Amino acid sequence: MDRKALAEVFSAISSVMDQNKDYLIELDQQNGDGDLGISMSNGFRAVKLYLEQAEETDMGKLFMKSSSVFNEAAPSSLGTILSLGMSGMARQLKGKERVAFSEMNEALDKGLHLLMEKAGSKPGEKTILDALCPAIQTLKENEDISAAEAYALAAQAAAAGSEATRQMKPIHGRAVYYGDKGIGLLDGGSVAGKLIMEAIADYLGGAG
Amino acid sequence: MKKIMNQPEQFVDETMEAIELAYGDKVEFLNGDRRILMSKAPACEGKVGIVTAGGSGHLPVFLGYVGFGMLDGCAVGNVFASPSAQKMEEMIRACDRGNGVLCLYGNYGGDRLNFGMACEAVEFDDIPTRTVLVTDDVASSPKGEEGKRRGVAGMVYAFKIAGAAAAMGKSLDEVADITQSALNRIRTMGIALSPCIVPEVGKPTFQIEADEMEIGMGIHGEPGIQVEKLKTADETAQLILETIDRDMPLEAGDEVSVMVNGLGATPMEELLIIYRKVHRMLTEKGVSIYMPHIGEFATSMEMAGLSVTIFKLDKQSKELLRYPASTPFYTNANK
Repeated sequence: MDRKALAEVFSAISSVMDQNKDYLIELDQQNGDGDLGISMSNGFRAVKLYLEQAEETDMGKLFMKSSSVFNEAAPSSLGTILSLGMSGMARQLKGKERVAFSEMNEALDKGLHLLMEKAGSKPGEKTILDALCPAIQTLKENEDISAAEAYALAAQAAAAGSEATRQMKPIHGRAVYYGDKGIGLLDGGSVAGKLIMEAIADYLGGAG
Repeated sequence: MKKIMNQPEQFVDETMEAIELAYGDKVEFLNGDRRILMSKAPACEGKVGIVTAGGSGHLPVFLGYVGFGMLDGCAVGNVFASPSAQKMEEMIRACDRGNGVLCLYGNYGGDRLNFGMACEAVEFDDIPTRTVLVTDDVASSPKGEEGKRRGVAGMVYAFKIAGAAAAMGKSLDEVADITQSALNRIRTMGIALSPCIVPEVGKPTFQIEADEMEIGMGIHGEPGIQVEKLKTADETAQLILETIDRDMPLEAGDEVSVMVNGLGATPMEELLIIYRKVHRMLTEKGVSIYMPHIGEFATSMEMAGLSVTIFKLDKQSKELLRYPASTPFYTNANK
């Protein structure tokens, strides 16, 4: 994967977020402040626009800049969390212009762990991690098949993980104030995570 | 809402503007940005940078401690809201003199996320950072889960210790380790009598009856351990000190610094009456007191109430506490 492919991936995520903007807002209004759809839509669009015109070819530097572009466009908690993930990936990819599937998985894993460390969070706490962790785990376990096939499996894992948040009690953010009333509700952040994985899977499926 | 202000949206910017007008000889904005305050105090070549950040509304925390012997920089957000990662990043870069920067701040979600991002960004460019979180509020999480505790007034001692260690020329790792070790011996607990009002919100942060007090309240109006009938000053001091003592046992022969901190609307007299009892109780236990700090150090707008911080000292922390410091809101020359 290089800059061009990365720009296409972010463009795919950006359109999915635009299509699901109202749905994400609705989900977030059940137990948050409702800005989820707006921040995801704005954040991914900003990164897409940046990557499309970027002259930088170092994937690490591209991710680092994307992280700060995303954070500026989407300064909500989830926006910051995703920015953190991107900056964790950046460090792993520094100095590389082309990144192999397995290297990208390694970077995703680094980003995920940085995010968990800095946010003080782990799966099972009704967050985006419940979609991202099983998805990235699936990618790492399936490096012997094509990236498109692996991402299709990862998207399924993310969807299942997101669905499972219905049974979880919120521990982070404003949702905490809803306590047990939050049980039964789908976590909007995990849906955003699922949409990201699905968008990448669809892009790779279409391209491959 | 009854407040002396102009437009609520201008509350923070106007405060910041005034700080530069009043103390422009000691501090300045970074590139004219009213949310990033930098020390103008001369520092020796290669000194480790000490920075913090957090929401506005707690003066003198945080930016009142920017200056000689304490913080090199401070980024602030709106009242009780974290500044952006971008501002923190700019501040860290500006405070690096080649040997890295210590990020020292209270354990709050937004601040942690944004500092986390800012540190990633500067480390990408090979500026080393260390992070030390202030988690001194014993009422915010039980013993055994100290890592989840909020940072409150004890952070002032941490700024002092870190600032002095850096001024003495210690390395980033040394400064971070010394500061962490000091924080392991710092505990705070607060009580509140009345809520505060965030200017842009316009409503009190919580409700409390006229004859009640909130035990263990945080500096943003976070709920404490429980609401109780109003106690006398001596009973209040006793409750706080006993709670701290259970968490961090104090023994005969120990030496401590005591901070009695007003939350914004509590008269100095009341702080002193609390100090009187704390002093007596400690002395009875055989614990001696060094450099007591009594006044407003970490406030919550117009909240009435106070906190007591106990800092168990050793030889090194005494030396660092005594090391000269002079900022717009702090000097230890009178302690």
